[in-house]
Amino acid sequence: MDKTKDWFGYDSLAFFGKVNASISHELKNVMAIISETSGLLSDLSDLASTGKPIAPDMLKSCTGSIMEEIQRGFATIRQMNRFSHSVDNPVQSVNLLDVLEMVIALSEYLSFSAKTNLRSGPGDAPVVLTCPFLLQAVVYQTLVFAYKHTGPEAEFTIFIQPLDDSGWRIIFPGFDVSMFQVFPDVATATMANSIGVAIHCDSVTDRVEMDIPLSIESITALDVSPEIPGTAKPSRSRA
Amino acid sequence: METENSIKILLVDDEVKFLKAVSDRLSIKGFNVTTASNGDDAIQAASRGGFDVAVLDLQMPGTDGAQVLKILKQNHKFIEIIMLTGHATVDSAVECTKLGAFKYLEKPCSFEKLVDALKEAYQARMQKKFEKNQKRMAAIQKLSMHQSPLGLLKAMAQYDDGEK
Repeated sequence: MDKTKDWFGYDSLAFFGKVNASISHELKNVMAIISETSGLLSDLSDLASTGKPIAPDMLKSCTGSIMEEIQRGFATIRQMNRFSHSVDNPVQSVNLLDVLEMVIALSEYLSFSAKTNLRSGPGDAPVVLTCPFLLQAVVYQTLVFAYKHTGPEAEFTIFIQPLDDSGWRIIFPGFDVSMFQVFPDVATATMANSIGVAIHCDSVTDRVEMDIPLSIESITALDVSPEIPGTAKPSRSRA
Repeated sequence: METENSIKILLVDDEVKFLKAVSDRLSIKGFNVTTASNGDDAIQAASRGGFDVAVLDLQMPGTDGAQVLKILKQNHKFIEIIMLTGHATVDSAVECTKLGAFKYLEKPCSFEKLVDALKEAYQARMQKKFEKNQKRMAAIQKLSMHQSPLGLLKAMAQYDDGEK
């Protein structure tokens, strides 16, 4: 599995940078709110000291806002920490629900993200042996494409379902044929191929299906030629 | 000299809590503040407004800050615009400056720095208006030499039409 380390090339580094930039943006917003709200508290104290009556509700609202933002900051830092550690073990057994939950949370830091829900059917937990970092990158890029296409007002529900005995299928609804001209792009297709993930674009149901093998060990990843971008068989209709 | 009381600010940010806190602080300082939490609302508010200075967040859902900057500068000749962003990059700073932004500040930015920038922007706006009026008066004076009062009015209309 040492070969996997070689797969963390420029594209995955770019993904790592992009996510970290969006997290730092989120933290800046949190800090800016804390800074301005505590400044407002200070301004209100100054007014109070000159004898001007200050409504207790206003003080309560300020302290409540600061406490909420501190919690938001902690949650963001926890996500950042979890994401940073996802490169520790290039290949490991992961629950796809955990991976998707984290990617959805990370994508929410983008200003153009849409509301995204996650649903899985009953039965076994969708556990696979894969490279979680690259899988995150592929799923993230897919969501970014979807959000850019639909705008922040849209709402998505991502499904996970078993795929015979060979793996799991993640279904992303809300795509259309025009998107399939540009999706998957070179970087996404290359990263998906490197971990044996097959991306199908279904123009009949307007959705992207991503097939994840149960084990990356069955894939001779470095021998797989990357798909040519924008040629992800949009005409295929699947049952 | 104008005071903060007469300075009309349009404050735009999709972080509603940030918007509220900064707006309250500026109001305490005596600024006349209107808020908008997205680009489209900002453009609409500006069309009603007569604002002296707008403070725009860069990354917002829908119409982003750079687009709002472009539209406000096109539609409101003298408005000055301060960009206030948590996503500061050299590229976006250059782009916003080219589009006519007066200042480009990075979040979190100290409140005092923002207030100073607002005052500077307001002064720049007044200076521009003053220069424009001076230019107009000089042009009209030139056009109206040896003219009757009616001729003077015609000359003023002629100048204003030319400006359009």
